[in-house]
Amino acid sequence: MSASLRAATSVPPERALWRRRLTDWADNERVLGYLLVGPVVLLLIGLVAYPFFVAVGYALSDRTLADEGEFIGLENFYNLFENQIYRQTLGNTLIFTAGSVTMRLVFGVGLALILNEAFRFRRLVRSAVLLPWIVPTVLGTMAWLWMFNPNFSVINWVLVHSGLMAQGPNWLTDPDLALFSVTLVNAWRGTPFMAITVLAGLQSIPSELYDSSAIDGASKFQRFRHITLPLVMPVLLTALVLSIIWTFSDFGIVYGLTKGGPMNATHVLATLSYQAGLASGNIGEGAAISLTMLPILFVLILWQLRRIRRMNIA
Amino acid sequence: MTKRSSNSGTTRRRVLATAAALPAFAAPAIAQNALKGTKLTILASNWYVPECNAQLDQLAAEIGRDTGMEVRIERFAGDELTTKTAAVIGSGRGADLAVGVEFDTYVYASKLTDVTDLANEIGKTYGGWLDSGKAASVVGGRFKSLCIGQAPAAWNYRTDQFAAVGLNKFPDTFDDLLKAAKLLHAKGTPIGMTLGHASGDGRSTNYPVLWAFGGKEFENDGKTVSIDSPGTLKAVEWYAEVYKYFIPGTTAWLDPDNNQAFLAGKVSATVNVNTIYLASRNAAATDPARKFMIENMEHGLWPRGPAGRFANYNINVWLPFASSPNKAGQLHFLREWYSRKFLLKWTKTGQSYFIPTFAGFDNEDVWPDDPKLKIFRELNKLNRLPGYSGPPTPIAAEAVNKYILVDMFAKACTGQLKPAEAVKWAAKEYEQIAKKRRA
Repeated sequence: MSASLRAATSVPPERALWRRRLTDWADNERVLGYLLVGPVVLLLIGLVAYPFFVAVGYALSDRTLADEGEFIGLENFYNLFENQIYRQTLGNTLIFTAGSVTMRLVFGVGLALILNEAFRFRRLVRSAVLLPWIVPTVLGTMAWLWMFNPNFSVINWVLVHSGLMAQGPNWLTDPDLALFSVTLVNAWRGTPFMAITVLAGLQSIPSELYDSSAIDGASKFQRFRHITLPLVMPVLLTALVLSIIWTFSDFGIVYGLTKGGPMNATHVLATLSYQAGLASGNIGEGAAISLTMLPILFVLILWQLRRIRRMNIA
Repeated sequence: MTKRSSNSGTTRRRVLATAAALPAFAAPAIAQNALKGTKLTILASNWYVPECNAQLDQLAAEIGRDTGMEVRIERFAGDELTTKTAAVIGSGRGADLAVGVEFDTYVYASKLTDVTDLANEIGKTYGGWLDSGKAASVVGGRFKSLCIGQAPAAWNYRTDQFAAVGLNKFPDTFDDLLKAAKLLHAKGTPIGMTLGHASGDGRSTNYPVLWAFGGKEFENDGKTVSIDSPGTLKAVEWYAEVYKYFIPGTTAWLDPDNNQAFLAGKVSATVNVNTIYLASRNAAATDPARKFMIENMEHGLWPRGPAGRFANYNINVWLPFASSPNKAGQLHFLREWYSRKFLLKWTKTGQSYFIPTFAGFDNEDVWPDDPKLKIFRELNKLNRLPGYSGPPTPIAAEAVNKYILVDMFAKACTGQLKPAEAVKWAAKEYEQIAKKRRA
């Protein structure tokens, strides 16, 4: 730049000094790091940390919707563990989550392997598979409610009229079967997410690995065991962590199908929390029920994340 | 800046506050003038009789026209309305009035406007409030809500199917109902009562049985749990016996299921409000099956038990939020709702779907002309609230919301627990709720 041009575009010395200081400051990696992370941290504080600590505060009080309440320490938690319905609900939630995630895993991986193959109308099928994930939860649940209806179940109609059964199963009436039914619907809804996520992982595996292993004489199962599974595992574990979180805190499907009945056989922590906190107005108790999800989820997720990290390092 | 009214020299806010504080009968003229430019948001449910919803909309529009107040109705399905109301109570903003259930009055009492003066004025107009209406609205001697009405649940039964087993009327005792259930089951036309987590039918089906056998949840103080009694045990034993002759699946029934089962001809009798009949009657002109249904169905009273004849109905109330900045608007709307011009017409339109709880309504032209709905006039006097014979309390409300009574019967009916064990289970749950609320 020529001297005359520099003189023409020059800024007052104080401003130039400030600008240089700001540039130097921003060039400092530590400062820039904080600057970039700052907005995210603020968002997390506002949207995650603040509500979380408010919930903790509620859980340690006897607050109701109409009354500020007082600090009662851990009494809400003590009362919960004394309560048979809560203990039953906790058990239901664990079975519901384990059952649903297992089904999602099996069907999701199976579906992904099929969708990864070349066949006619593959794109159409891939889109169709996403339907349970796309349709609003309430709509899907209403359809299942009709299919499981004690009086008008279309599944039972088919079973009876095809001669397979004299009388159809009591999908939502029998306590054990009811828990299975809500678990099945949750798995139905979550399987497409698992399938599509795993499919994305499968498609990132270089085809040369399969070609060379085929030349070496590896069977289809050996290729799945030693190439597909290890390479897709990080994606799979991430999908698994998300599935566990979503299933553990699911509300809509159970509430839509049974409202926790019959006889609390399908109550999960989210529906019980709603019942206590909003329907009955006991905000303290409702918050305590919700917070009991936390340690269980925390341990599960920490374990999964460590595995993912170890795999990534490996 | 606070807007000043045109020529009074006082602030609009002060006018509104004065109008709200004045005795109810003096308020209308002031409110009419002061309401211009204000807003009133009302949270409402969707009543099953569409004409009742339409009349509410029409009333809101008329009030808007007459006063210049913008009246907005926001409608929600039952559970959504519960959540929305809770949000308004918790945050203190979002609405001025809501349609609630009777429990809301005593759970949210401290967050509701005291409308005692208006309630007394309305009571005088209609010959006084019935006990159920007062119980639904009064906390600590003050009206914290105003009862919209109660929805009497009757036994809906198929006269042709009852006649086929030799019964020409609905059984008048629980023993006779059990005998009828056996006969109907044997004939392939079973009865069914809701034993699932249905927020409406779950309670209206089960409380009458408990009370008729002499069982009750609490002593008269409303705090001492008394569910573990010989009366409750007898009620549970009767239920476990009659359940053997029910249509399968009633433990999973939610609110729509008994309607659907009856309309589809799957059950010969069930407990419901008048909506099964109204829906059939409306469709009868074009649907022969519905025409056949209304010609062959009737409504019956709950049977009489050793302790008497009882019933339990859903009650709707107007909840005036104390957080509302438009108290004058609240009162004006409520006054218009309870005006003879509107309320008598609204009640008649509902055909006894929701019946306002006034003693003087016996002499008003609000009752259905259809002979098959005549029984609802008598049903209107039988209602008791959860917690009976004690007062309705947040403890009783929580027990209803947690379906303790329904589950007690269901556990015994399905054999999950023996009747005595089911009663003990329920007693423990009631005790835990009472202990927590007493603390």
